[in-house]
Amino acid sequence: MATATDEAKLTETFAALANSTRRAILARLAKGAATVNELAEPFDMTLPAISKHIKVLEQAGLVVRARRAQYRPCALDAARLQDVSSWAEQYRPVWESRFARLDDYLARLQPQGNDRSAR
Amino acid sequence: MTDSNSAENAVVIERSFRAPMDLVWQMWTDPEHFKEWYGPDNATIPVAELDLRVGGLRRFCMEVQTPNGPMRMWFTGEFREIAEPARLVYTESMSDEQGNAMTPADMGMPQGHGVTTEVRVELENVGGRTKMVMTHVGIAAESPGAAGWAMALDKLAARLDAQAVR
Repeated sequence: MATATDEAKLTETFAALANSTRRAILARLAKGAATVNELAEPFDMTLPAISKHIKVLEQAGLVVRARRAQYRPCALDAARLQDVSSWAEQYRPVWESRFARLDDYLARLQPQGNDRSAR
Repeated sequence: MTDSNSAENAVVIERSFRAPMDLVWQMWTDPEHFKEWYGPDNATIPVAELDLRVGGLRRFCMEVQTPNGPMRMWFTGEFREIAEPARLVYTESMSDEQGNAMTPADMGMPQGHGVTTEVRVELENVGGRTKMVMTHVGIAAESPGAAGWAMALDKLAARLDAQAVR
């Protein structure tokens, strides 16, 4: 079910955002790509700890990492964040399909009504 | 949409139905009608209780068929405004079978993330058809932390928008 998958993705993204260090990392990446070392600089944290936060952001689809470069810079995946910032919009397809069913149901309930308005 | 709705994080859908207003009203308020259309195609609504008065309970169950057998999801909420047949406002949250709403933590969400939603249905007779405007709003819990978190996220999104324009 597509909507259940969307829900699950959304939940994962919100969980990733529920941490001030990770939000600070995202704010830094909004200015441009950065390496793990650069991202770690402002924090009083070990590199492995920072890497762990980045991994969570990566799994939530908020951050992408270059494959080729040796230092694998991190970059923000803006699409995912914009999805989240308007999470209500995710319900649009759910409602659209409900109302399509409502249309069908109303047509079944009042076949004569349809004939009249078609005339 | 860039009107006031976007600030409250809402989805707004407008539709026109070939049916009189009072019938469309019943679709939202009569459990027998509600069960017929509300769920997605692969789901049924085996239970729907709609206590149609301000403060009255809404509670229903959606059953989805999965490879592991049927899965039941429960929803609860209350009616906030009832102006038959023109305006209906209700809240909705995911809940357990007893109607206890799930907290953000239960759903793996950060504290204060809006898991309660408010749905507003506005109906109007336009040339024998019924025009419906449905607004689905996410309600953030009213903790200072939640507000700060939402603001930070908005700022970040605005910054991203500005970058995308460049």
